[in-house]
Amino acid sequence: MVDLYQRKRNVITYILTLLVVTLFALWLRHLDIESSWQKAGMINFSFGFVLLAAYMSAQILKIARLPLISGYIIVGIIVGPYVSGFLTDDMIASFGFINDVALSFIALTAGGALHLQSLKKRRKSIILNILFLTLVVFGFVFMFFVFMGSHFSFIRNLSSVQIMAFAVLVGVVAVARSPSSAIAIISESRASGPFTETVLGVTVAMDVLIIVLFTVALTVVRIILGGSGMLDTQVFMAVSIEMAVSFFLGALLGKGISFYIDRIRHDLPLFLLFLAFGVTKISMWSDNFMISYFDIHLHLEPLLICMSAGFVVQNFSKTGTYFMESLDRVSLPVYVLFFSLAGASLNFDALRLCWLLTLCLAVVRVTGIFCATWLAGTVAGDPPLHNRSAWMAYITQAGVAIGLAQVAEREFPEIGMYLTTVILALIFVNQVAGPVTFKAVLNFLGEAKIR
Amino acid sequence: MKIVFALLIIVFLTFSGYHLTFRSFKLPLFAREFYLTGTEFLFLGLLLGAQFLNLLNTETLRGLEPIGALLLGWIGLLFGFQFEIAKLQRFPLDFFKAAILESLLTFVLVFFSVYYTLPLFFEIPEVKHIVLSLTLSAAAACTAQTGLALLAPDFIDQHRKTTGLLRYVSSIDGLSALLIFGMVFFFRKSSITGFSWVGDLALGTVFILIISAGLVFLYIVFMSSHRDESELALLVIAMAVLTSGVASILHFSPLVANFFVGFCLVNLCRQKERLFKILVGVEKPVYLLLLVFIGAYWKLDSMWLVVLAAAYCFCRFVGKFLGGVIVTRLSPEMNDYPPHLGFGLLDQGGLSLAILFDFQQGISCDVSTSVISLALLAIIYNEFLSPYLLVRLLKEDK
Repeated sequence: MVDLYQRKRNVITYILTLLVVTLFALWLRHLDIESSWQKAGMINFSFGFVLLAAYMSAQILKIARLPLISGYIIVGIIVGPYVSGFLTDDMIASFGFINDVALSFIALTAGGALHLQSLKKRRKSIILNILFLTLVVFGFVFMFFVFMGSHFSFIRNLSSVQIMAFAVLVGVVAVARSPSSAIAIISESRASGPFTETVLGVTVAMDVLIIVLFTVALTVVRIILGGSGMLDTQVFMAVSIEMAVSFFLGALLGKGISFYIDRIRHDLPLFLLFLAFGVTKISMWSDNFMISYFDIHLHLEPLLICMSAGFVVQNFSKTGTYFMESLDRVSLPVYVLFFSLAGASLNFDALRLCWLLTLCLAVVRVTGIFCATWLAGTVAGDPPLHNRSAWMAYITQAGVAIGLAQVAEREFPEIGMYLTTVILALIFVNQVAGPVTFKAVLNFLGEAKIR
Repeated sequence: MKIVFALLIIVFLTFSGYHLTFRSFKLPLFAREFYLTGTEFLFLGLLLGAQFLNLLNTETLRGLEPIGALLLGWIGLLFGFQFEIAKLQRFPLDFFKAAILESLLTFVLVFFSVYYTLPLFFEIPEVKHIVLSLTLSAAAACTAQTGLALLAPDFIDQHRKTTGLLRYVSSIDGLSALLIFGMVFFFRKSSITGFSWVGDLALGTVFILIISAGLVFLYIVFMSSHRDESELALLVIAMAVLTSGVASILHFSPLVANFFVGFCLVNLCRQKERLFKILVGVEKPVYLLLLVFIGAYWKLDSMWLVVLAAAYCFCRFVGKFLGGVIVTRLSPEMNDYPPHLGFGLLDQGGLSLAILFDFQQGISCDVSTSVISLALLAIIYNEFLSPYLLVRLLKEDK
């Protein structure tokens, strides 16, 4: 009774405080901003405001048993450029670097959350899930566009060949998921168990696999649209080298982190912050450097580097537990920041433009995920309850999918605008619904320690 | 040349890493102080900055502005937390007077020296000229406790009375300097809008105090229910950045605004201990990050800076020395302390750096990089000078 009273009191306090802070923010927005110092101040104020508002909203939404990251994302959507415009596109762009550093932090956590022993135990289930999720989800989405695409007014202007190319690209992007959301939900729920391990293994592995699949898709689409008539082996070679170098650097970094923990240990979060910053910055810098000096396109992937670093610390040193505890201590501000900015970047306009197509696509994708996970679980001999509900864990989609859409847009401008709009709209739906279903399934299967 | 410098800094930083890793490695006294106070992070900033690796270039620093605001906010809050009235009252009033007097004397001395010397070397418009002089003198007036923190505990025990006074003075003598520095920001507005400076000052101060009161109220609301440490850390981060942002929008110093908030919190908030624990828990990382950030603005492009920094350091030394002599003659009780008290007040730490960083963020001008470089060099000189003079002072102490 006392607990209920306290909870109600807290919620009322949060609502009132949120109201006061919002009114204050609105008042500040009406002041004349002249100098660059004031502009920087407005950016800082908005940053602090978003953190506070996201935190308070997540606490309010907790009553409805929604995951915290849904609260952060919803606040991001509301304050973002497509709804209230409190955060402008420029502001979001100026937070881009901090956002990248936050993502590297999350990637370290994702790598560190993978235990080799558990992965070995769940190997069969993980491989089958990856295989079926890739084939079935791609197949469903591809078929949907090929057979139904011309019925939607949004893409009616595309020729049948272009719809085919469009179907291939959307199909591959539909396979992508969001390891950052998965890791945030798992860490919020303190979830552990065979189901959680399988989901985490599949999600992280698919984040790597998607880059290869996307490269294949780009080549296929080039052929469909009448460009080069052959598979370009050089492209595959380059992608393989990029991934191998990223993994190698990540492994080295992981060894470095475990050495640091072993010998120095103090100020680990600061050290990791430096590393995350360094990895992000050096990856950007190496791109330009290799092109300018050697005319070689070598794109190091900061996500892969950080994930493999985390994996090496966890599985090839004795410092894994301490490493994860240190990351956990700073995880809350990182998640609030990352997901509220992710929310702010979700394109509401895109959803408005093609909502019917997006809803149908989302349903097709979820159906594909359901079939794939049920099939994989059944073949692997997982518990039937897991097989029936596993689809709920694979809905979330975020940054990687957006990145892929942007690459495709640059590559194929003739279908690029349609592609980006549909994918952004799809991500909007999946990123809002995905965390809710994932948390629900962890609760339902009893693997969540905190409900 | 640039590559040679970069290589030298890399070697130096590798050595630093080696020192951090193998702590049993014995260094000479000055170098020990240099390493343990984290000054090598200034060089890390220099290496990462635009002059060498260009990883922390202007664009990146702009992208990291919220982090800069957080650092200023954090240090402002921490400094405000030093002024818990109930705790300050446990010490004699003479201590407080001594701290303020010594710092004001240094401030005035450095201000006039800088005011008349700077135009000989740099072309600066009149308003910026005052602003630069006020900033440099405010940074000079502050003292850090780094030297004291590195002394052996038994040595401190032998001189408990004097080290107690030094610790007290160095923890609060930045007050007057910080408040005067806060006024520098009103010059900024008057230079833009042409308003009367005095009018701006009165109105601006009242305005910022009202806003600070509102922010303190928010903190108190957040602290009213129980939260775990990570939630508290998130709230402090968000509030510090928010306060810094509000201050910038209203043409005020983020550092001073957060100081006001910290001062009110420590005297009004029941949960101040928990807040303080959060603030102090990452004090060192915040300080090190500040060193890196400000190091990135460091530009060693003229040998004159080395000489000017020595002159600036000397003026500060004279101010601290005279201040020490005067305050030990304030009252019969203060006569018990060694007259060379100023020897123990030479370390320049977090608050000085924060003042310089705040200046760089808010009122930078054509010569601000040179001025900051000069002040950073002086901070390094003081790091070398301070341990010897502190030990000498304590040996003098009967």
